[in-house]
Amino acid sequence: MARPNAPMPATGWHTIGPFFPRSFFQEGDNDLTRLSAEAAPTARGVPILLHGHVLEEGGGPCVNAVLEAWQADAAGRFRHPLDPHWREADPDFLGWGRAWTDAAGHYSFRTVMPGGFADGAATRAPHVNLGILGSGIMRRLVTTVFFPEQEAANAADPVLGALPDAALRARLVAKEEAPADGLRRFRFDLLLRGDAASETPFFLD
Amino acid sequence: MIPRTDLPDRFLPYDEGGQPQVPIEGYANTVRRNPSRPPFRRPVTRTELTGPLDLTAKLRPGDDNLALSPEGRPAMGQLIHIAGQVLDEDGRPVRHAIVEIWQANAAGRYRNPLDRRDAPLDPDFIGNGRALTDGEGRYAFFTIRPGAYPVPDSGRWWRPPHVHFSVLGPGSLSRLVTQMYFPGDPLNARDRLLNALPDPEARARLVAQAVPTEEVEGEWLAYRHAMVLRGRHATPPLP
Repeated sequence: MARPNAPMPATGWHTIGPFFPRSFFQEGDNDLTRLSAEAAPTARGVPILLHGHVLEEGGGPCVNAVLEAWQADAAGRFRHPLDPHWREADPDFLGWGRAWTDAAGHYSFRTVMPGGFADGAATRAPHVNLGILGSGIMRRLVTTVFFPEQEAANAADPVLGALPDAALRARLVAKEEAPADGLRRFRFDLLLRGDAASETPFFLD
Repeated sequence: MIPRTDLPDRFLPYDEGGQPQVPIEGYANTVRRNPSRPPFRRPVTRTELTGPLDLTAKLRPGDDNLALSPEGRPAMGQLIHIAGQVLDEDGRPVRHAIVEIWQANAAGRYRNPLDRRDAPLDPDFIGNGRALTDGEGRYAFFTIRPGAYPVPDSGRWWRPPHVHFSVLGPGSLSRLVTQMYFPGDPLNARDRLLNALPDPEARARLVAQAVPTEEVEGEWLAYRHAMVLRGRHATPPLP
């Protein structure tokens, strides 16, 4: 059934399947801090490592999953015309990256601590949006990562607030680990399917 | 009460009839990797609406001929040309979208260490490419027609010849990953992935259109295939 006034229905999704080409990934694709593999990382913001495991039902690793990350710069701006402050956005920060899970289901992104921002009546806490693709995932799974030091901002965030209880909201807050290689490190594990207490909450895409 | 954003609702939820439903019989990963809980509704704010405007330094386009090896040798198989437009839901062209494709070779085997089938590999066929849509939203690839292949442990389900597409458009919510099928292939009607879309019109839209050979100027078979990314008024001008 077509939507009112939308003449072209959106094309149906399919899985990436088991054979997404490894050669699509280049050095630095999972680094949000640089515009290209050769570019210098942005000088603005606090560099961080966001990493974790993607697990399937039963807790086994989700191998060859693809994760795509998108976030605001350190000041909470996007270099995009829908951001009224896009002109002030960090020109050296891409804000997008793509990672691939290894045999253990592990992924990592290098980025900067995102800034929060006001959006109409809402105030968004610092966050990273994640899309997860993989064999058997017929439509992208989407979720959002929040940060443990942002308790007050997290409590006011409208997306985190869309989850009905505190236990679910806690599942979307990354855990800080000891820094390494000059980077603050945050861990965010995803369980794609499990019991109600352990399955990662996902949002309607 | 969820506060509302002042941005317009450019992205409505998907029409479920036009999107795949899971689980799919004989495809265990559609159980193991899909949440048991329905997804939560969230307000759409700036992060969801926006996306990187220019990924060409990160995901380099320009690799639009899969039918020739890097050394210039032709791949085995039927030479084909796939071209079409990427549009938004208002039918506007999506300019500068990144279009990635990957596929099996003519024998139905992927050049991927995870594909352990004993069908032959073609040394002159890698099987993936990446292009950028032009000012009219158009993309085009030369490749070879992929072969069909059986899905392991599935009760003799064969995947019809298909080409995987990944499209990165103007915003996070316009992301699309899909597959393109070939018109007239008898395996299409029995394919469990294609049939996961309940709406027959939505399934038909995943099947390319053959261009009559009289209209093709070179020695290849040509197909047209349009894709519609979600979103209305969703093609913002570049600043």
